[in-house]
Amino acid sequence: MKKWLQLTLGILTSVGGFFDVGNIATSTQAGASFRFQLIWALLLATVLVIFLVEMSGRFAAVSRKALPDAIREHFGFNFWVVPFAVLTLLHLLTLGAEIGGMCFALHLVSGLPVQVWAPVVAVLTWLFLWRSTFSTLENSTSLLGFLTLAFVVAAVLHHPPVREVAAGMLPSLPRHDAAQYWLIAVSLIGSVIAPYLFYFYSSGAVEDGWDSTYVGVNRGIATLGMSFGSLIALGAIVVAGMALAPRGIQVSDYHQAALVLTDTFPFWGFALFAVAMGIACLGAAIEVSLAMAYTTAQTFGWGWGEDLEPREDARFCLVYTGAIAVSALLILFGVDPFKLTILTMAINAAALPFVAIPFLLLMNDAKILGEHKNGWLTNTVTVLIVLLALGLAVVSIPLAVAGGGGG
Amino acid sequence: MDLVRDVLDKQLVDREGTPMGRADGVVLELRGDLPPRVDALETGFAVLAERLHPRLEEWLEKIRARWSVRKTARYRIPWSAVQEVDPHHLQIAVRAFDTPAYDWERWLRDHVIRRLPGAGDDDS
Repeated sequence: MKKWLQLTLGILTSVGGFFDVGNIATSTQAGASFRFQLIWALLLATVLVIFLVEMSGRFAAVSRKALPDAIREHFGFNFWVVPFAVLTLLHLLTLGAEIGGMCFALHLVSGLPVQVWAPVVAVLTWLFLWRSTFSTLENSTSLLGFLTLAFVVAAVLHHPPVREVAAGMLPSLPRHDAAQYWLIAVSLIGSVIAPYLFYFYSSGAVEDGWDSTYVGVNRGIATLGMSFGSLIALGAIVVAGMALAPRGIQVSDYHQAALVLTDTFPFWGFALFAVAMGIACLGAAIEVSLAMAYTTAQTFGWGWGEDLEPREDARFCLVYTGAIAVSALLILFGVDPFKLTILTMAINAAALPFVAIPFLLLMNDAKILGEHKNGWLTNTVTVLIVLLALGLAVVSIPLAVAGGGGG
Repeated sequence: MDLVRDVLDKQLVDREGTPMGRADGVVLELRGDLPPRVDALETGFAVLAERLHPRLEEWLEKIRARWSVRKTARYRIPWSAVQEVDPHHLQIAVRAFDTPAYDWERWLRDHVIRRLPGAGDDDS
């Protein structure tokens, strides 16, 4: 019975953390520019994220160690320092994008400039982390995360052409703007496989005291939670394909993305978009900050845990406090939240091997995992998709830079 | 026991199980013709920096000398203080809070964290 409750909570949490500013930006951009043609990229990334999240949960449950802890221990500091540096950079950029998303949501309802909101948003996010325990954080942001279902509701109310949506599930070559097509495909993949998810999830499983009896629950959470999150992203692609593409509106800024719900919900579409975006970004910002603090504390062997009082793990708290401050400064100094998001998502995809390779090696170590080590199917699928994502990133990012960016 | 597999980079905990850094380095005692013996564990940023590049260590040492919260950049734990080696950690017979491994934690707690509202009850 307790496990069923855990399963439900776990699914809620994954939805709360999965759907974030990256998904909003990339999905609406994909739908507006290419209607349903890029759905395949979302599906491919969803399969990969299910495998990776399942692996990180299984590893934590069986070994009772979170990923950074185990990777440093097994491969040594000199190996781990490179992925650790890449992750830290990505965590800061992602956090900046989430903070920017919240600022934009507040800008949309208040009319005040985006930058003005950066300090407010930073303090709000920080207060959540400072005063809450792990379970209250999990439960509050994940329940509110259900508001993002508005994208799915709006997509259904638009009565999209089912056959065209289904056709988008198979990869096809672009008929126009090839460079933009591939960059959006890469960013879309990067928004789904954001590394903070795995690092947050595995440390969270250790905080929740999982043991090897949780392997089945973990599989359920990974599969259902990630699929559900992906369904919301699919909703956002479809609604952008229905509401924006026919009018020739391209998404190069959140202002255009914010138009997606106004057809379906004429009076309060803007407000609904703002609230859904604000909540999704807050949930993700909390997870990214924690992922960064967990990773740093475990790398250096400090005490860590969101259930401790701040004075019991001062260095852990300092990491998330510092991360929020640095990331909020990016927005305060006028970095465009939308461009920051698209860039970060593309880097996510390019950095995937740094994240996935040490992890795959650990997952195949029978000394740690025994009968729970990876099977050939998991290994093959993961390696193939990681290589594909890397290939797409290596080809498309330089193309985009040469062609003047994804906007 | 395999030093690199079972000791280096392992989590260190004190006798109450409080995390106190990692085994950043292992100090060996060379004994002529006899096989070398583990003399001590080392922990601290300087040890990690040295593993990456000796110059990085010199540079960190200069910074530390200027803003020194820590009395030493390396904390050496004699091997005789290691109580237990298990798959999760090495247990050391000390109280973490009293060691140099906690210099930063103590400083941050007293000078920053404790001054912010809601940092937990002020008793220890």
